[in-house]
Amino acid sequence: MWSKINFNDIALIPIWQKLQRGERLSLEDGLILYKTNDLISLGKMAQYVQRQKNGDAVYFVLNQKIEHTNVCVLSCKFCDFAKKKGEAGAYEMSTNDILSKITPEIKEVHITGGMPHDWQWERYLEIVSSIHQKFPDADVKAYTAIEIDFFHKKFKMSIEEVLRQLKEAGLKTMPGGGAEVFSERVRRLLFNQKVGEKVWLDVHKTAHRMGIPTNATMLYGHIETIEERLIHLIKLREAQDETSGFLTFIPLAFQPGETGIKPRNEYTSAIDDLKTIAISRLMLDNFPHIKAYWVMLTEEVAAVALNFGADDMDGTVGEEHIAHDAGALSPMKLAKENLIKIIKDAGKIPVERDVFYNPLKIHGENLIGKIPYLNSVPIYHYLNSEDFKILPVTPRRLGVLFKQGTVVAGLISLIDYFEQEENLELMKWCIAARDQVQSVVLFSKYEWKNLAGKTIGVIDDTSTSVKLLEVILKKKYGVTASLERMKPNNYQNYSAVILIGDEALKNLKQSISGFEFRYDLATEWFDWQKLPFVFAVFAVSKGLSQDLKNLIQHSIKESLTKGKNNLEVIGSNHGRTLGYTSKETKEYLEGFNYVLGEREREAIEVFRNIVGSK
Amino acid sequence: MLKNMYQKIQNNQRITSDEGLTLLQKTPLLELGELASIVRYRKNPKPQVTFVVDTNPNYTNVCTIDCIFCAFYRHPGEDGEYTYTVDHLIQQFKESAAKGVTTVLLQGGVNPNLPFDFYLELVRRTRKEVPEIYPHFFSVSEIVGMSEVSGLSIGEVLQQLWDAGMRSLPGGGAEILSDRVKKKISNKKETADLWIDVMRRAHKIGYKSTATMMYGHIETEEEIIEHLERIRSLQNETAGFTAFIPWSFKPGNTPLEKIIPHYASPTRYLQILALSRIYLDNFPHVQASWFSEGKKIGQVALHFGADDFGGTLLEENVHAAANYVSKTNTEEVIDIIRQAGFIPVQRTTLYEIVKVYGN
Repeated sequence: MWSKINFNDIALIPIWQKLQRGERLSLEDGLILYKTNDLISLGKMAQYVQRQKNGDAVYFVLNQKIEHTNVCVLSCKFCDFAKKKGEAGAYEMSTNDILSKITPEIKEVHITGGMPHDWQWERYLEIVSSIHQKFPDADVKAYTAIEIDFFHKKFKMSIEEVLRQLKEAGLKTMPGGGAEVFSERVRRLLFNQKVGEKVWLDVHKTAHRMGIPTNATMLYGHIETIEERLIHLIKLREAQDETSGFLTFIPLAFQPGETGIKPRNEYTSAIDDLKTIAISRLMLDNFPHIKAYWVMLTEEVAAVALNFGADDMDGTVGEEHIAHDAGALSPMKLAKENLIKIIKDAGKIPVERDVFYNPLKIHGENLIGKIPYLNSVPIYHYLNSEDFKILPVTPRRLGVLFKQGTVVAGLISLIDYFEQEENLELMKWCIAARDQVQSVVLFSKYEWKNLAGKTIGVIDDTSTSVKLLEVILKKKYGVTASLERMKPNNYQNYSAVILIGDEALKNLKQSISGFEFRYDLATEWFDWQKLPFVFAVFAVSKGLSQDLKNLIQHSIKESLTKGKNNLEVIGSNHGRTLGYTSKETKEYLEGFNYVLGEREREAIEVFRNIVGSK
Repeated sequence: MLKNMYQKIQNNQRITSDEGLTLLQKTPLLELGELASIVRYRKNPKPQVTFVVDTNPNYTNVCTIDCIFCAFYRHPGEDGEYTYTVDHLIQQFKESAAKGVTTVLLQGGVNPNLPFDFYLELVRRTRKEVPEIYPHFFSVSEIVGMSEVSGLSIGEVLQQLWDAGMRSLPGGGAEILSDRVKKKISNKKETADLWIDVMRRAHKIGYKSTATMMYGHIETEEEIIEHLERIRSLQNETAGFTAFIPWSFKPGNTPLEKIIPHYASPTRYLQILALSRIYLDNFPHVQASWFSEGKKIGQVALHFGADDFGGTLLEENVHAAANYVSKTNTEEVIDIIRQAGFIPVQRTTLYEIVKVYGN
């Protein structure tokens, strides 16, 4: 990675050194970052972190925002969306009104609204379940923590029960609104009827523990201080350390409109917007994504933000009453083509995603694929991406992209390699486990032999590990069980689940209740075959020019050499998002062999024979 | 590649056109911004950003050149055509001067019915009756039009305007200095060579001028470099350019809208701005065009090589005709510059300092 920065502000240099060592930034660091006029260097630092996390991908989703009603029992000063019942302009949508807004291509429905005093609980559930049933491709992201807490109090159910019923109805994730700024001072002045930090964080952490990922926001540019912004970020970072359940952070630029609040400037300055994106990326080292929400930022600033640490542009949105009523400058609709153009112009790869950030469609070519798990970090961390673009995708999906020709080089799952061998050229790297792997784990309610006739849930990401599981079941233990692809976080429906990569690591830390047995598949293989296990190999398309092949060869070699000497540094940031300390991360990475040697080649052939491919 | 470029720019070596093309096509945005900053601070070491209090009226919208990127002009006799009298314009300038305006950037239409004397009288009376105002009048197309109407040579037209009191010319009408592009989007306008030639003659008489570039329509990246190369060589010869101002094509209400429906993206603008600062190593200043790119991107541009925020443009009609409206005032410009981390400095057309606004 071209990571040289020509600092105009030397106060940033110690922070840059910290980042390169993978260390966490402090409140004081944050203040220095906000104070600097060296915008370019700040952006470059944020981009350095962003590339580690998301390569060159920028995500967007075909989404529809639904605001089911603007009738609200609260009167928050910064909101000019809410109305009282019967007031001119007040509206309440029926479930049919809501369904009529959704079209089949929509992949995410974002639901938030006012809180009227007379709606029944069933109505909220019905909104979720009817969308879920009628539009199974559209994942429901619904109800802020404020609304969840409102339901809890109004309908006299615990937070857990509220969330449980919503999840059962089809809720997938929760939006991050209502956090505003975690400061009692600001809360008293601007939104004293809202729940405040403790309840907000409790609701989100509860959701995370129940397998509901959520987003987080910060409303900035009103009366808050820079220190209050940073404290907000640090509190979110601490919560994420506990649960790892946040997907995205979204800084929301305040729109004064008719709210009557007089911030210092009518709109936040573009410089403040870009700094806030960059500083969020740097402070929130354990958040996977940072969103440049164009509806609030304007399309123009959001476009520039893609080079300042943001990797998500939200989406087509459909309708956006809250921001628009307060005078947001953006047009109501941004066509998908326009989003793709903006992302491409920013030098990034447009990736259409679902609510969990699974890529659905990639708008790019000649990409290098990166398995977005901690274990691939040593290969990619120091890769100079001046010459090619890096796309992080899970192994199974990567196999498909190789086949389509979208991805022309990268780690490919061994099984997919077998299938596409004639079009691929093997390079001399791989991801191989010696005698254990830790991150390919069968979490089971039963011992191996008692799994006969049971159904095992298979995480959708895996390609090779599921084959490995099959052969271990059948040929090592002589057990027949049925395997079934499952959606994330649906584990309790199965007798055992196989998880790989970060999802396995996360669950090893937090354990899944009821799953008493954990089997490391690399250990199972090693005990059986006395060989390492190769999960993925590094391959390039045969059709690629020799120049590019050489460049890739050279770049990976350099990156890996440097990476292996800095294991404690390169994985620490990624490890932190999974709740791993630098030491644990280093130990985990030391368990892998990245060079395709004799023993690894032998292991590949043995596995090939056992699975019977070719 | 980037490493070599970095060293070259740091050592104040000139970038070749091939290198310019590589910078435009292959260099990530922030790397370009960083390289542009090196040049910006070499040329203008103080953390200041200048601006001018100006207005941009049009004395006529009658025009026969038919540029397909323009939504402002009317043909002679067409509905909505107008041409102001000298009296009307002088009155307008007086009102502007009362609001603190120091520069009037006045342009047409190229109206074939106006005699050359109209222009001379306008300049003379402006100098005499509104001395607070600096007449930054007439683009190259209008100079060429005056030559055609009067039968005088371009040199003679420029000399007579100089004698009447003009000292600078705006840099509009350059679009992309490539005959292929000009033929397609402004067939009846002067050729690229003629644009350069008018500027050369003007600089030799003693005029200062700006240079502009309108990109984001049918030009290729090579043609952008060609444009920069042409004005860089002329500047080597004359040193008459004060500043370069790139802006993106605004398609609204123009015939070209059918082919080019979208604005060029802000990322593109910042890239082109930064590239210009690097490439035009003999231009004293590069202007951010808040007016065409929006105030937010105009502000960000100050970190991508621009050291000037342009004018306050109290009146503007051409972009407005393309449904692209942006307004500001002096206080807001000062705020925007300060928020970007710079010291605002009010200047004249010729970059003399009027007032430094401390923090």
